[in-house]
Amino acid sequence: MSANPEYSSPTHPQPKALEGFGSINRYWDKRMGLYAAKILPGEFYVSTHGEMIVTVLGSCVSACVRDRVNGVGGMNHFMLPAQHESANVNPDFTGAARYGNWAMEYLINAVLKNGGIRKNLEVKLFGGGRVLSGKGQMDVGKQNIEFILHYLDQENISVAVQDLGGMFPRKVLYFPDTGSVKVRKLKTTTNNVVFEREESYAKTINSTPTQGDIELF
Amino acid sequence: MAKILAVDDSASMRQMVSFTLQGAGFDVVEAADGQEALDKAKSGPVDLVLSDVNMPVMDGITLIKNLRELPDYKFTPILMLTTESAAGKKSEGKQAGATGWIVKPFNPDQLLNTIKKVLG
Repeated sequence: MSANPEYSSPTHPQPKALEGFGSINRYWDKRMGLYAAKILPGEFYVSTHGEMIVTVLGSCVSACVRDRVNGVGGMNHFMLPAQHESANVNPDFTGAARYGNWAMEYLINAVLKNGGIRKNLEVKLFGGGRVLSGKGQMDVGKQNIEFILHYLDQENISVAVQDLGGMFPRKVLYFPDTGSVKVRKLKTTTNNVVFEREESYAKTINSTPTQGDIELF
Repeated sequence: MAKILAVDDSASMRQMVSFTLQGAGFDVVEAADGQEALDKAKSGPVDLVLSDVNMPVMDGITLIKNLRELPDYKFTPILMLTTESAAGKKSEGKQAGATGWIVKPFNPDQLLNTIKKVLG
């Protein structure tokens, strides 16, 4: 698909990013003729004004969460860190589960904070491919899928659409104002950027224990 | 053992927090929003409140304000456990009467140490 000449330059000024999302890469998408935000592993983005959110997923998972009534919504992009606790620890309470929980809660809270209502939430899930196999690694994608389905079940949030697992990376375009999604399976990846990004993200989350600050007043 | 009121609108977060606290021997009472927490706090004494900030019905900051108006809860430690790390929200919590502010995700050992510290 070639660029529509009508959209070669922005048709309107870029809306300001919501509080907390100033560091996200946002640009005018010439092909779609709208503003887009591109998120990398570990990032998330929420929009209230007709932007498109884009990401490329290997074994990571993205949850697209929006209020189906008022159109505020966003997307995250995460994987669980490797499991260090012994196998007899309940998988609900491991460091990995805490990390995934946190990734979901940050996204859901940002949607709620910007006008979303919990009972109106619509969730669509993508990713979790078995794309890093062949390197003697465990199926990270499968672990991510199991987590997200279990999490949403616990939270009593139903999944409207899911496209999970499989062998191929995915490019996902999400339109939080309408809830529409375009997914393209990347059957021939000409470069290794997707894998490199995921591997460097995996290294970061596995080497730094994730925990927030504590302040006593 | 001390009784802790754990307040969060996320069921999985409540479960995770309760598991951590019960594992350290604390009694835990759960509530899904500020109003439910306030009702439970009124119906029986708790030694510490550990609460989320953003919740439906009644948010965590309003919960602190309401608790601090009750004679039984004037000096009870109230810790906020939240995704909010902005300085503005934090100082709102401090002004309302929170004892401390813990940003998610929590590390179980750190959470327990902080709780033990404020329980004295």
